[in-house]
Amino acid sequence: MNVEVAFDRDFVLAELITPKDANEMAAALQVMLASPIAVLDAAGRHFGGTPPTSAAQRAPLTLELEPVGFLAGDCAADRLNAAAGVFRWGLLSRARFRMTSDLHLEAVRADYAKLQQQNEALGNSEKKFRKLSETLDAKVKEQLSVIDARQRQLYQAERLASIGQLAAGVAHEINNPLGFIGSNLSSAERYVASFARLQPSVPTEVWRALDLDFVLEDFSCLLKDSRAGVDRIARIVKDLKGFSSIDQPEEQFVDLNAQLESLVSIINGQKPAEVSIETHFEPLPPLLCLPGHLNQAFLNILQNALQAVGSRWVIRILTRASAESITVHIADNGPGIPEEIRSRIFDPFFTTRRVGDGTGLGLTVAHDIVLAHSGSISVLSPTDGGATIAVEIPV
Amino acid sequence: MPELDQGANRLTFKLVYYGPAQSGKTTNLIQLHDLAVAEMKGELMTLETQHDRTLFFDLLPLGFRTSSGLTIRFRLFTVPGQTAHDGTRKAVLSRADGVVFVADSQRGQATNNGESFNNLAENLARVGLVLDRLPLVVQFNKRDLPDILAEDDIRQRYVGAPWPLLFSAAVQGSGVRETFAALLHQVWRRYAGELELSRVHGLNEDSFVAGALGVSL
Repeated sequence: MNVEVAFDRDFVLAELITPKDANEMAAALQVMLASPIAVLDAAGRHFGGTPPTSAAQRAPLTLELEPVGFLAGDCAADRLNAAAGVFRWGLLSRARFRMTSDLHLEAVRADYAKLQQQNEALGNSEKKFRKLSETLDAKVKEQLSVIDARQRQLYQAERLASIGQLAAGVAHEINNPLGFIGSNLSSAERYVASFARLQPSVPTEVWRALDLDFVLEDFSCLLKDSRAGVDRIARIVKDLKGFSSIDQPEEQFVDLNAQLESLVSIINGQKPAEVSIETHFEPLPPLLCLPGHLNQAFLNILQNALQAVGSRWVIRILTRASAESITVHIADNGPGIPEEIRSRIFDPFFTTRRVGDGTGLGLTVAHDIVLAHSGSISVLSPTDGGATIAVEIPV
Repeated sequence: MPELDQGANRLTFKLVYYGPAQSGKTTNLIQLHDLAVAEMKGELMTLETQHDRTLFFDLLPLGFRTSSGLTIRFRLFTVPGQTAHDGTRKAVLSRADGVVFVADSQRGQATNNGESFNNLAENLARVGLVLDRLPLVVQFNKRDLPDILAEDDIRQRYVGAPWPLLFSAAVQGSGVRETFAALLHQVWRRYAGELELSRVHGLNEDSFVAGALGVSL
């Protein structure tokens, strides 16, 4: 059976009954009607039974509106019509059976196609979930590391804030006595000059016995040294304030070169005398950042470099600007960073120093701070030795 | 597209009564069989049923001959409304030239009507028919029942839809001919030009509808 045909097509006689069955039916009817009976198709051609005479009557076999065939025979019209009615019932049953089975086939195919679609959709979603479960572990780890980094940033921010508060308090407390020490020193210089004018009135032997020439000269030197000391204290306080950015807790535009300058002055006090720090600053555009945090980052990198070079070497700080970003290179000529640990130096609690010497957080914190500024930090190993930490921050 | 059999000089329109289960599709055909006085009217063929519910389809053939000698035949089908018989519904709907959507007016049936209409749109797409271009009328049946949506509410709801709205109580025979006539008008407007029914066969919209129904509506 051809499954491609439509269930609702118009049937022709040959689809509903075979010539052999038509012959049998006609033979049976012939006995009942006592007259030869023919079965004709819709066009009136002989299909089965005894071929009709030219005078034969016809009774239509109509399933819907138009006949699919005829019964023909030489007998009374009412008899022939009654026989056609019986014959028609047979055809109608066949037609209904064919329609039902063809429709059933179409429906089954439709349902099957739909099931296949659903199956495919299910398969796809299964694939999706399988993939998801495969990556889930990695995703969880990724999220954990993000949380970890955020926690460290938070810890660092709190630490910076408390350092800032401490620095602000210390700066305030030192500034006041510094003020009156400075002004007292000025007074003292004036007083020394007054004492010098006493010489003519003092007997020469007394002046000499007390060695007042030396006293006056040394007094001036002492005052001058003290003045230099006070100025130095004032500068340190200023640098400390600048470094911790205690006055600037919010994001703001700064000149990174100036920040690095103040950092270098702080470091200069800590470093061994043999180590020199060279700076090569190119003019930079203003950078919107958290200055206190960035300073902390660069301080950590510098301290790391200082420990690497020991006591003999040079640290270079270079700054450079492009249209999109500012680059800072902090290079030392120390032993360099071995290839095998280069990927781990930003990991928390990774340290090459003895327990107690370092926390293993210095570069991690620097890394987090640079990342928080949407920047990147990387290690370069120049061919001429040493190590370079490159920081790039978008403008 | 209606099927034109040149050899038999016969034009056949396949019209399908679609809608949710037990909304009265078969009842429409039963009544139409009694009410239509077309020149040619066949028996209502009811295929298998189960507890009085259509399993496959019902078929009512109607027809008339034009003065030009063309036989115009309408084969009215119903689909099984039950959700489970979607494959059968789709197969019956294929090659349709027009659709009567028989909705149930009872308050509780709004969801079923909506789902069935969506199913109609879906199946039309699956058998390659375009809803916007298919002659379609919507019949709200069972107006004789007590707990039904008000006519005004329904009209309000369908105010943006392009399809003619009809109201019927098919068990009493009211609105059945009117629904069929409304579909015939749609069918005429959609296909008459292409099939040259006026120019070649001397028909007009009214004589086309009257030919199918035996009366002019």
